[in-house]
Amino acid sequence: MLIQTPGEGLYDELFDQDNRVRPHYKMLEEWLVNADEGLIAEKRREADVLFQRLGITFNVYGEDQGADRLIPFDLIPRVISASDWQKLQAGLRQRVQALNRFLFDIYHGFDIVRAGVISAEQVFANPQYQPGMQDLKLPRNLYSHIAGIDLIRHNDGDFYVLEDNLRCPSGVSYMLENRRMMMRLFPELFAHAPVAPIDHYPNLLGETLRAASLKPDPTVVVLTPGRFNSAYFEHAFLARQMGVELVEGADLFVHQNKVFMKTTVGPQQVDVIYRRIDDDFLDPLAGNPDSMLGVPGLYAAYRTGNVVLTNAMGTGVADDKSIYPYVPDMIRFYLDEEPILKNVPTWQCRKEKDLKYVLDHLSELVVKEAQGAGGYGMLIGPKASKKELSTFRSLLKARPQDYIAQPTLSLSTCPTFVDEGIAPRHLDLRPFVLSGKKIQMVPGGLTRVALKKGSLVVNSSQGGGTKDTWVMEDDLC
Amino acid sequence: MLSRAASSLFWMARYLERAESQARLLDVSLTMALIDVPEDRVEQLSVPLLVSGTREIFFEYHEEITPQNLIDFLLLDDRHPASVYNIIQNARDNALHVRGNLSADVWESINQAWLELKELQKKGVTESNASSVFDWVRERSHMFRGAAYGTLLRNDAFHFLRLGTFIERADTTARVLDIRHVMAVRAMEEHATQSFFEWTAVLHSLAAFEAYQNTYGHNLEPMNVAELLILEADVPRSLHGCLKEIASLLEQIESGNAKRSRRLASSLYANIHYGDRDYIAERGLNEYLVDFLDRIQGIAGQIQKDYMGWKQ
Repeated sequence: MLIQTPGEGLYDELFDQDNRVRPHYKMLEEWLVNADEGLIAEKRREADVLFQRLGITFNVYGEDQGADRLIPFDLIPRVISASDWQKLQAGLRQRVQALNRFLFDIYHGFDIVRAGVISAEQVFANPQYQPGMQDLKLPRNLYSHIAGIDLIRHNDGDFYVLEDNLRCPSGVSYMLENRRMMMRLFPELFAHAPVAPIDHYPNLLGETLRAASLKPDPTVVVLTPGRFNSAYFEHAFLARQMGVELVEGADLFVHQNKVFMKTTVGPQQVDVIYRRIDDDFLDPLAGNPDSMLGVPGLYAAYRTGNVVLTNAMGTGVADDKSIYPYVPDMIRFYLDEEPILKNVPTWQCRKEKDLKYVLDHLSELVVKEAQGAGGYGMLIGPKASKKELSTFRSLLKARPQDYIAQPTLSLSTCPTFVDEGIAPRHLDLRPFVLSGKKIQMVPGGLTRVALKKGSLVVNSSQGGGTKDTWVMEDDLC
Repeated sequence: MLSRAASSLFWMARYLERAESQARLLDVSLTMALIDVPEDRVEQLSVPLLVSGTREIFFEYHEEITPQNLIDFLLLDDRHPASVYNIIQNARDNALHVRGNLSADVWESINQAWLELKELQKKGVTESNASSVFDWVRERSHMFRGAAYGTLLRNDAFHFLRLGTFIERADTTARVLDIRHVMAVRAMEEHATQSFFEWTAVLHSLAAFEAYQNTYGHNLEPMNVAELLILEADVPRSLHGCLKEIASLLEQIESGNAKRSRRLASSLYANIHYGDRDYIAERGLNEYLVDFLDRIQGIAGQIQKDYMGWKQ
């Protein structure tokens, strides 16, 4: 089949600037060029049927409950060279380590604030800051045990961190299932390509969760909001893979500041809760009083030290888009190292000078809500209508502190099956970084791809798809 | 294990068993309606409604009991809980709840059934293709059972699942036997040929025709049928067989202080185990079965209370 070459000025994962195939893609490219169109169409249908049967689906808010939708899965993997991954891995470790140090610091000595690196207002007035976490001693001083870091490759060929997700990052089940699907559909590919394995992620996660407690053999559970949550599949999947109970709020109760689950033989104490519920809904007595998802008294038990939450309460303050610009400074401050991974230049509209620049260059920039997620509430300047631009102009003037702006990055592209054949589409990457006794990750992550031509929005809730992510074990292929 | 998970496993299995029995029952009733004299057809078609206790609800949606109306109502109508559609949907809902406790094979077998059912509902079912749909439901149930047997760890999750199957099965057998037996006895008094078909209908409804022939030969005797379906422990859907399983499963489940369900189950089991046909005949089959139904429901309620109901 013919592979369309990328547009001018874009970084393509497969083709270099002279439209030559990059060495680590050689094998895949040969296979694609020789692939039979009928066979590929057949495999795509097979993948859809399998995903349906496995029930690897997600619910989109606003649609019928139980209207299970498939996330479109693309058969062409995104390949990362061994040397690129080495660098990414070192950068991710460094970044997550600094972020955990930062979280410890802002709930203990505030060194970074006192040193004047970040203003007190930006930390303490942040709505995600949990004053109740101050001075609380957590095992190993860890806050974000599971982090998902969103990366993109810009047209200069470098990776940039787009966003740090330190609360309940999701998507790792798709990473694992995508690989399983590829191995099932194209075993011959794996026989020839030295693709680094990722299947041990649940083992590493289990190890990380057990290490979150100082008890020798802690009881771990996964806490889900329930089966109508968009990530329920993932919660159940991880619980089953790790061999721990999948619980809902109603399965737990707190007695004398200890957390128990309701079992057929009576109460059983829980030591570590891998919670997939936001801070505010965890305990109706401490957060949102209307929450039916949480456990009354959980926060008190947590404060007493009788149970560990992963991730900790109040981690959101560090993955906020207004804190993001300071992460390179954090790395310098806590680790005394130069950041390995780049940040995207960011204008903070809370600063007068930055706001002026943003308003003057609105049509060139991407504007995001500092608290936003899921690709909602953002403006993509170059693609916006006059009306959208003027709406954002007034929003920015009214509440500048709620927004940040970044240059429109040209995300790299990767060949993708679409209606018109194999064409380049933009993508990003979310590796998952686990912090326990040590920092661990599996080689790769979740690759999300925008399926519409030219689109930069890769979120599944906005019609994006996913691909398998291959990290090559050596650079000689 | 989690009480909620135990409850979901129990109900998941009950629902799947129920879907299978309902398909079997419908199949037999529609066939009997073809064989029977015209004036008795409605009575034949009413059997599945009586067993599922939905005769009243049926008339909220339909004016008369015809084969097509019955198929529509008991297979794919999603407006009431007793249709195969809703029964399987409930099974899948429960499976989704305990997905963490199921093997991939078991989950996929249920999820696949649900996906196919949604397709079936779009296509619709008529008298002419109803038989193939009944076959499909039965095959799906067999597949679920096979996946459960072949892939689940023999722990409490498995035991609760099996408990659900046998409680549902015992309940169904008693109901079907009760209703169909009355019809068969009446047919005997009226015409001899018809009575042969009535007795075979009882056996086919409970998948016990071959078992009967094996045990008693071709001679269809009312008390033999009752004896087979109540007292023969080796018949998969007999009351004796079900109770033996229930009592033994409860012994295997880690119990804490839950002695009551065990006592109730063991005592009913002992009753059947040491029962004989003369006792049943003396007491009257109907009275015997009504009492049995009462007690099996008592056991089911006690299981829920002991293991699944949670008072802090």
